[in-house]
Amino acid sequence: MLHTLKLLLPAIVPSWRFFDFIAPSPRIQFALLNGVDEAPHEWHEFRPRPAHLSFRQMLGRMIWNPRWNESLFLVSCAERLMEFPTQHSEDEILKRIMAELKSHSLATNVMTATHLQFRLLVIKRQDSQLQHSVTFHSRVQPLSGQKLE
Amino acid sequence: MSLHDAIRLTEILLGFAFTLQSIEHLKSFSNERFLFMPRLILAVLLIIGFHTAWVVFLLFLLSLAILNRFQGPYNGGADRMGLLILCCLCLVHLAPTLRWQEIAFGYLAIQLVLSYFISGWVKVVNPEWRNGLALNDVFMFSAYPVSESLREWAKSPDVLFYVSWAVILFELVFPLALLSPTSLTIALGIAAAFHFSNACFFGLNRFFWVWISAYPAIIWFQFRFFTAG
Repeated sequence: MLHTLKLLLPAIVPSWRFFDFIAPSPRIQFALLNGVDEAPHEWHEFRPRPAHLSFRQMLGRMIWNPRWNESLFLVSCAERLMEFPTQHSEDEILKRIMAELKSHSLATNVMTATHLQFRLLVIKRQDSQLQHSVTFHSRVQPLSGQKLE
Repeated sequence: MSLHDAIRLTEILLGFAFTLQSIEHLKSFSNERFLFMPRLILAVLLIIGFHTAWVVFLLFLLSLAILNRFQGPYNGGADRMGLLILCCLCLVHLAPTLRWQEIAFGYLAIQLVLSYFISGWVKVVNPEWRNGLALNDVFMFSAYPVSESLREWAKSPDVLFYVSWAVILFELVFPLALLSPTSLTIALGIAAAFHFSNACFFGLNRFFWVWISAYPAIIWFQFRFFTAG
């Protein structure tokens, strides 16, 4: 109860410090593995943004935007993992990658991997150059048998 | 706009915002549907005005459960603003006198003003906002641009410099809009256009719907304390 009140307090007395500084930005990358001990060798960006969106698509997203809003939630989870890692944030990211892979494999029927791992790639500007660094590796998660709810 | 009308309009707009949000979760995980299906029903009841005091209270309790489920807001500031509006509406319905109702609803109006003014203040004291570099960073590497083509804006630092100052100045002078109904109407129009552009460029559609839900509060506040005297 006290924890929920702690979460509620910033809503009742907001700080309103939107975009006060532009923090390093995390990207979620995942790797499919064929065993719990296999080292990941190919990382894929989770939900890369489209090359272009038409104004009509942007208008449509004014009222129906679940995928992007979920991606924004995952950015929040990634930022929380960078600041104070919790099982909750790690689970949220893992289960949403798994759900996406599941729907993809049902559509293409090509998935043979047995395990999954994600990492956080953080991008920041140093002077005029962009720097990339890996700041977090998740646990290796079996793709079947365990349900994350 | 009377206090009663402003409260009712806020309820309708917030109900609409919550309806859109809730529908987005209906195809999600079962423990999310469990929270958002009742929220959708309550949001529709809020729009049609069915026992609004109870509906607002139940929506508030449900929002606490949702806050707990995601260990924080699902969509940052938009969810927090939604919760703030709900809290103020709860207090309005619990308030024993008209005076207390005005204080609760006035708090929402003041927070709306602060949401713009403080956002402007934290930018103007940051040199990277003043020289346009911060907005450049938003387009260059932040997670927000909805498409890769929007990142091209980072190659137009002069444009972003002027856009940065336009945003900063608008946010800082927003409190002056309270001086007359006309200036407030213009300011709210610009603010809505600002949220709309953020929704288009950065996918922040929830901010747009939730922020305009609070606009009746400031319209009433302006009339009550600046026009009516």
